[in-house]
Amino acid sequence: MTPATPLWEFADITKAYPGVLANDKVCIRLMPGSIHGLLGENGCGKSTMIKTLSGVQQPDSGQILHNGKAVTISDPQAARDLGIATVFQEFSIVPTLSVGENIFLGNMPLSRFGVIDWAKVHDEAASVLAEMDVDVSPDTITSTLSVGEQQLVEIAKAIAMDARMIILDEPTAALGEDEIERLHQLLRNMRERGTAILYVSHRLDEVERIVDEVTILRNGCVVRASGETKINVSEIVSAMVGEDIGEHYPKEQNATEDVVLEASGLATNSGVKDVSFSLHRGEVLGLGGVLGSGRTEIARALFGTDELIAGQITLKGDPVRFRREIDAIRAGLALVPENRKFDGLFFNFRASGNVTAASLGGLSRFGVLNLKAEEQATHDLIRDLEISTQAEEKTVNFLSGGNQQKIVIARWLFSASEILILDEPTQGIDIGAKIAVYNLINRLTRAGKSIILISSDHDELLAMSDRIAVVQHGTIARTVDASDLTHDDLVRASADIPHSKPEEAFA
Amino acid sequence: MKRIFDTQLIGPFAAMVIVALIVALTTERFLNPGNLSNLSLQVSIVALIAIGSTIVIFAAGIDLSSGSMVALLTMILAQMLKFIGIPLVLALPLILFIGGLLGLFIGLITAYGRIPSFITTLAALIAFRGLALTFNNGSPIFSLDPALEPIFYGKLFGVPLPFFYLVVFYGLAAFTMNFTKLGREIYAVGGNPAAAVLTGINVRKVQTTTFVIAGFMTAVGAILMSARLNSGSPNYGQTLELQAIAAAVVGGASLAGGRGNILATLMGAMTIVIVQNGLNLNAAPSSVQNIVLGLIILMAVGIDMWRAEISTLMGRIFGRSSSQQSSNVKKEA
Repeated sequence: MTPATPLWEFADITKAYPGVLANDKVCIRLMPGSIHGLLGENGCGKSTMIKTLSGVQQPDSGQILHNGKAVTISDPQAARDLGIATVFQEFSIVPTLSVGENIFLGNMPLSRFGVIDWAKVHDEAASVLAEMDVDVSPDTITSTLSVGEQQLVEIAKAIAMDARMIILDEPTAALGEDEIERLHQLLRNMRERGTAILYVSHRLDEVERIVDEVTILRNGCVVRASGETKINVSEIVSAMVGEDIGEHYPKEQNATEDVVLEASGLATNSGVKDVSFSLHRGEVLGLGGVLGSGRTEIARALFGTDELIAGQITLKGDPVRFRREIDAIRAGLALVPENRKFDGLFFNFRASGNVTAASLGGLSRFGVLNLKAEEQATHDLIRDLEISTQAEEKTVNFLSGGNQQKIVIARWLFSASEILILDEPTQGIDIGAKIAVYNLINRLTRAGKSIILISSDHDELLAMSDRIAVVQHGTIARTVDASDLTHDDLVRASADIPHSKPEEAFA
Repeated sequence: MKRIFDTQLIGPFAAMVIVALIVALTTERFLNPGNLSNLSLQVSIVALIAIGSTIVIFAAGIDLSSGSMVALLTMILAQMLKFIGIPLVLALPLILFIGGLLGLFIGLITAYGRIPSFITTLAALIAFRGLALTFNNGSPIFSLDPALEPIFYGKLFGVPLPFFYLVVFYGLAAFTMNFTKLGREIYAVGGNPAAAVLTGINVRKVQTTTFVIAGFMTAVGAILMSARLNSGSPNYGQTLELQAIAAAVVGGASLAGGRGNILATLMGAMTIVIVQNGLNLNAAPSSVQNIVLGLIILMAVGIDMWRAEISTLMGRIFGRSSSQQSSNVKKEA
């Protein structure tokens, strides 16, 4: 039997930018009916490769074969004509348009008189959505959908143009567990029909579940190609990082018996109901649950962002009441928000301005800042946390996601907070940076600080928490020792009949 | 000092020098000592008001009210001096106080009423002009006080007094923006208000404060305007707010907030006034002046937006790629 011809073959693709060789003779073969994982740490050349594949840029050298014939992908339109659809990490849907309009955006079916054939838009969009088993009307305005459903609309666009190859760049970054499962089912269906899928993700647990072959990049080169590597998380990790990184989750046990924070019967208008728990000195308390279960809202209630309509927070035995964030910060709380880009960082500042933002009062006398102390403290933190030294001179938008996250955490180290709420602290950062964040968590708990960890990465949550509180519909369903839970338990516990009480579900 | 005189000043400074060179080479009388001292008088009012406009812009707001507020305050000052009989030494601090108070009013409505500053200050722009007309039946008031004129025309060691006002107020503003908690908080609020809230910065208070500063600096401008013409008029200060914003923008302040250098605004104001002066000396009609002012604003913002493209082009022309560029690309790869 002759081996099947690849649908697409990218051979010796090389692309250099001024000062950096982003792709060095990269080869990828994509077979029809196969899900191919493209993996690697940030800066390994994945994005460059995706841009080449989708016609956004031209390679400096190398060959592209489509069904064995050499072609050039001169621009994104050419890619589309060749049946390549790319779902970028940042959605390219227009939120104010309907689902149907988005699906056919740039490709509207026209009637004989050159006007849009709305009946056809509606019918064809409806049939694509039905084929995908997505229960959304083509007339719905896209902004009213959940993030997960918007992601599915994005994929519907690719299906509507009858793509033979789909590139998905971090498709699950914004999705909850059940939405991920739905997406994966869809991808499996597409694989059945012979579509080639290139799947780029940081979530290795997903990769293990869904991918058939992998290509791993490091420093612009292929370090493992399809077929060479068994799809096994620890092997993939060491191939990506280039060394045996040892324990993926370097958990230290630092929890003590002292209760530092006690919440009883907390409720807010944002949907938090009867939340009670205690947090110990040196402990990592994990909040598990699906996207929208109310974990972030619990964090907001603790931090004084959302007003409490019932309940009491007690810090080291003293009842407290936070009217605003500043009250919580003064009492020693810190919040590292879920979205560091929108809620965490000041992109107009260098590391120093970001690190000291929550401590300006302590850093100033009569309103005048001690800039020398600021630079010194920032310098020390950058060295301590192994943050790129560029952060001292450049504004933080020039830094990688991992470095940015460390800077947000450094802010609360500098302010000497006792209780840190970390909301999705490792989302979208690469393995090396994730491990650095885990080590940072250990360092904090070793110093007697307590952590509330919110994470959608179940493996991470299980490994790094001492206890886990499972959140459902805005309340804590139960709290258990992390060691008593398995991955499956957690998935099942947090997804527990999510739609049985729709009137209580989160919007 | 490195902090104040940073690279953000190079562009606006270069623009100012180039404009000055062009005007100096094409216009004989430009470098006359008389003309230069006239320049510092001309720039002073708009440059002082621009301090407030720029600080509001740093916090991601906009102040359209300053031109009308100047008219209103000159009328109040004239009323005080001419009809109520309040002595000058008392009237001047009162005007500064009222300016701050009007700014506070605008700031509170903007920050706590959650109305965009474009709207609140547009409303103020219209309403203050109307309010100014309610004094003296809408007629200007002349010959206010003989002691008023020296405030603008006086000299110290042969240097016009407005030069010293510029030094003092820009010195204070640069100190505030670069060395104080308030300055840092203003940049933080402009850079990312959501993050500012989560770091415990009182965003509304900071926003309100910027409008108080703007109102105060507008009052300083209004006093100089009254002193210059020894009068008050509901017609003073037309389009002054736009010139002040133009100075900030030509100086490189980002209208999105969070970025810019206050001293660059002074250079922006200088650039605009030098061009106007050059056109004046060449007897260009005011229509041409306005067209040129429009083009300068467009060019200043354009250069800012196309900075990356321009540096790439320069790199290609001079055959080297800057290190900054390659490291940026590395992040994206």
